[in-house]
Amino acid sequence: MKRTLLITAVTALLFLGQRPLAWAQVPDDDWDDDFDMAFEQDDASTLNPINGFLELAYSRRLQTDLALDQPQTLADARVQFQWEHDFENTQFKTRTDLYYDAVKHNTQVQVREFAWQGSLSDVEWLSQLFGKSVGNESKHGSNNWGEHFDFKIGQQVLTWGTGDYLFLNDLFPKDYQSFFSGRDDEYLKAPSFALKLSGYFNWVNLDFVVTPRFTPDNFINGEYYSFFNPQFPQRNVAPEFHVASHNKPTNPEYHLRLHKSVGVNEIAAYGYKGHSPLPDSTDENGLPRFSDINVYGFSWIRPVANGLFKVEYAYQNALEDLSGVNPNVPNSVEKYLIGYEKELYANLTGSVQWYTERTQDHDALLTHSPWPQFEQEKVRNVITTQLIYRAMQQTLTLNWFTFYSPTDDDGYTRFRATYSPVDEWQISAGFNGFYGDKRHTFFAQFKDASNAFVSFRYFYSS
Amino acid sequence: MKHSLFLISLLTALAFPALADENVQQIVKKAELAAFYAGDDGRTEALMKIVDAQGRKQMRKFIILRKDVEDGGDQKLMVFFSRPTDVKNTVFRVEKHTHLEQDDDRWLYLPALDLVKRISAGDKRTSFVGSHYFYEDVSGRAITEDTFSLLKSTDSTYLLKAEPKNPSSVEFSHYEVEIDKTTYLPRKVVFFKNDNAYRQVESVKIETIDGHPTVVRSKVSDLASGGYTLMEFRRVKYDIGLPDSLFSERSLRTLPKKWLK
Repeated sequence: MKRTLLITAVTALLFLGQRPLAWAQVPDDDWDDDFDMAFEQDDASTLNPINGFLELAYSRRLQTDLALDQPQTLADARVQFQWEHDFENTQFKTRTDLYYDAVKHNTQVQVREFAWQGSLSDVEWLSQLFGKSVGNESKHGSNNWGEHFDFKIGQQVLTWGTGDYLFLNDLFPKDYQSFFSGRDDEYLKAPSFALKLSGYFNWVNLDFVVTPRFTPDNFINGEYYSFFNPQFPQRNVAPEFHVASHNKPTNPEYHLRLHKSVGVNEIAAYGYKGHSPLPDSTDENGLPRFSDINVYGFSWIRPVANGLFKVEYAYQNALEDLSGVNPNVPNSVEKYLIGYEKELYANLTGSVQWYTERTQDHDALLTHSPWPQFEQEKVRNVITTQLIYRAMQQTLTLNWFTFYSPTDDDGYTRFRATYSPVDEWQISAGFNGFYGDKRHTFFAQFKDASNAFVSFRYFYSS
Repeated sequence: MKHSLFLISLLTALAFPALADENVQQIVKKAELAAFYAGDDGRTEALMKIVDAQGRKQMRKFIILRKDVEDGGDQKLMVFFSRPTDVKNTVFRVEKHTHLEQDDDRWLYLPALDLVKRISAGDKRTSFVGSHYFYEDVSGRAITEDTFSLLKSTDSTYLLKAEPKNPSSVEFSHYEVEIDKTTYLPRKVVFFKNDNAYRQVESVKIETIDGHPTVVRSKVSDLASGGYTLMEFRRVKYDIGLPDSLFSERSLRTLPKKWLK
């Protein structure tokens, strides 16, 4: 066979002589139907296919948790459907998960995306509405403001800010239960129903997001992981609590980001009006609730010495406890982040972040707290490091991320290896490890949550 | 006859060393313009078939939009992925800077998080989306990075040898590039580690589109492992008038459908 090919090649070269456009070197059948099929497929039908994946995921505690009798922390059988439809100028997208949770023995549906998006100028009635409101009659007028705005309406996942796994100005909902379990990173961000308007101008760009109904984080509530409660300091609790509806605000949240590139610098300013995404306040009966907060801040990112340097700041204003004397409501807090990321060697990227939380009116907090010994330090520092290594033609990815708090002397390390040598499937495994000596500090309280996980994903296209 | 030719070239080289150098530089410059700067802007659909040493296949499908800031200089690029399904709607944006001191600016849009992530400048000689192509094969290696010399000139091709000015920044010791005298497109590039050829990029099919000879089929081979990647361009268009404003965060989040059709 090899010899035949060689002869063919030599003959071809001889024949082609002076114009060897290298045709002979790749057998024609290698440029086979795969190419025609793949090129034509997407054009042939007007209806897009349904894509997605089937996934089995499992994780198990590395020790026992006295507050929870189940050793497994994750046991999902999941199917994700993705579908999008292109209208003339706008687009509809959905991404929906259906899964059986064998830890809780129930079936869940999570609509991660179900949204319509486009440019304001592409939607006649919106454009007219907008055009009129700024005094323009014509859709195609030279200063039609609609052309400067994109919208996205519906269920969607939203993210902004510069931190890796640290969120200062990003008050969009998170899912810490998924994060701790070793579900894909995508699931750290929870969806919310929102209206997003993005404006693009020479002098500044803006994103304005309204979440008509407050959407909190999917926080650690004792369902899968236990946590520290100062009332029972001897052992963790796992009450599987939910916030009572009268303690759950139903009014809107507002998120704003102004951003601009200045040369190689990217700068942004942020504002948020809404509620603490965690139920870290209590009502007069001691039941959990979400307090009112405003957050404002800025970020700056720029390349430095072949890497990326970033700074972010946020001031979280506790509107219900401005002087810090109410023990039922967390105090205002300043958050600082400084980070640097760089490719250390080919295929190996490293990053480091320094994060500080500075609680305001800390003396007042200690004076009024029923458990001053368990309150957070006035200044809490966290250092994170990350190494990402891509090997074997990027089919294997190793991701090692660590959090360490020198002030609390506790930490969290997560490792994930993902292997996908073909387009159809991917296997992933790793662990989440929490450590620390004190029972009450942020990471140490989750010591019994430390787990190892494995998952298998099969991608399909209808 | 051969002797006299040799004598003439030797004399020429001795008498006009500067001119001889300039000719090589001219060839390289023309080749760079032909391969990476055709037209003022361009658009193509691309399909890659990645075949590893064990014969396992992967496909990548994407659309590239490109606009030159300056011929032979900086460029703006966006790559919109549609295959495989787990990277569908992922967009990669590059502001390519040819000045040696300045790194390219790169961003990645992750649709599952609706996140535009600035990514640090990477080694350009690492795999492009898991294929055997390097970033540099796709975006173009700056000709200022290497010192070129003419090894051979036939009726239809030049054979040049390129040696890196900064050998520690690359994995090869030198490469040889065969340039077509009519189109100035590279027909074949072979990379060497010491004297062993270990990697090659071939132009398999060239078509003239909108007046620009274009490599529409190419193949890169890892000669050591036997793995290779085939890439085909279809629906190539040049000088379509892509506006500067297109190359921005906006296009990452809301696909510029007008230009992708």
